[in-house]
Amino acid sequence: MTSDLYDDDIDLLAAEYVLGVLALVDRVAVEARLKTDQVLSASVAIWEARLHPMLDEVTPVAPSAALLPRIEARLFPKAARKPWFAGFWALGGASLAAVLVAVFLFNANPTPTYTATLAANDSQVSYLVQVSDAGIQLTLSGPAPTEAQAHELWLIVGDAAPVSLGLIGDAPLPLPAALAPGMILAVSLEPAGGSTTGAPTGPVLALGPLQNI
Amino acid sequence: MEDPIGPLLIRIAAQDRAAFRDLYTQASSKLLGVLIRMLGQRAEAEDALQEVFTKVWLRAGKYDPDRGSAAAWLTTMARNHAIDRLRARPPRSDGDDALPDIPDTSLRADERLIAMGEARRITDCFATLEPDRSAAVKGAYLDGLSYDDLARRFDVPLNTMRTWLRRGLLSLRECMEK
Repeated sequence: MTSDLYDDDIDLLAAEYVLGVLALVDRVAVEARLKTDQVLSASVAIWEARLHPMLDEVTPVAPSAALLPRIEARLFPKAARKPWFAGFWALGGASLAAVLVAVFLFNANPTPTYTATLAANDSQVSYLVQVSDAGIQLTLSGPAPTEAQAHELWLIVGDAAPVSLGLIGDAPLPLPAALAPGMILAVSLEPAGGSTTGAPTGPVLALGPLQNI
Repeated sequence: MEDPIGPLLIRIAAQDRAAFRDLYTQASSKLLGVLIRMLGQRAEAEDALQEVFTKVWLRAGKYDPDRGSAAAWLTTMARNHAIDRLRARPPRSDGDDALPDIPDTSLRADERLIAMGEARRITDCFATLEPDRSAAVKGAYLDGLSYDDLARRFDVPLNTMRTWLRRGLLSLRECMEK
């Protein structure tokens, strides 16, 4: 059943990733590895092509009519509302693209730039995370920490040690220097006042990857 | 087979909004079907579809025809988004009963697949698998089940499920490359 053409460990990891059976932590690790590992990346592409015909059995369902306007209003905020935009078509492709990017960035300013949903097996605690210029806003579902405890937020980038982003309270937490999709946020249970070692000391209550809006 | 979506993605990468609309018209129903099947709820699936099409607009330039069809690129984006949502969900507290009730559509589905040339091979290959292994692969791909979910559904230890699934995948690979 094995084949000389493939390294089964890598190829099966690719297949598991494409199927989506991996736990979140393993899935995120594969995604990080895909950026540099061309063998794994090629295996993923082949499995995507192999399995894709299985979707033929899925019955299409027409989206509600309101959905496309909602998507367009989000992507082209001014254009959807005002005809002034039409004049910019005359400027040509490159400047149009620049204008679109500018419009998009300008309008994205007050809105969240990333979201994440943090959760874990065997944990009642989950957090909805919204990242914007105002900071990192976390909304808790589940039991709050007792007075003797605190929830501490950590940023995990690749294989590096977790970096504390602060204790979760009512106010948004300050933004770290660089955030990008795929980075992991994790919440650990700590004594009141937070970890004193610089690393998580209690159990990880919830974690998840940052995602583009 | 012709890939009508590929040229649309190239135009979308050049910020062509009409092409974006065309793509939405052609692909949104299929993608919503995939998302509903995986996420279980129409409201969440529509929310996910909105995010998927937002990503399509922003990332169309990254589509590489050498790596596969544009249709596969789109569904991969939708499936990955659904899987990210599923894996980020808090664990189900009430055990097996909380698993979505998915009707066994394998027979009808397989008949439909036969209409497609490329699909026939994977259908034929599924028929060579032991039924449990074939059901596990389909449960993962179509319903977004994780190893944990699959082990619970088939009532086997996690490691057994992993072995089943990996053997099933190796058999599929071998069969499809014949």
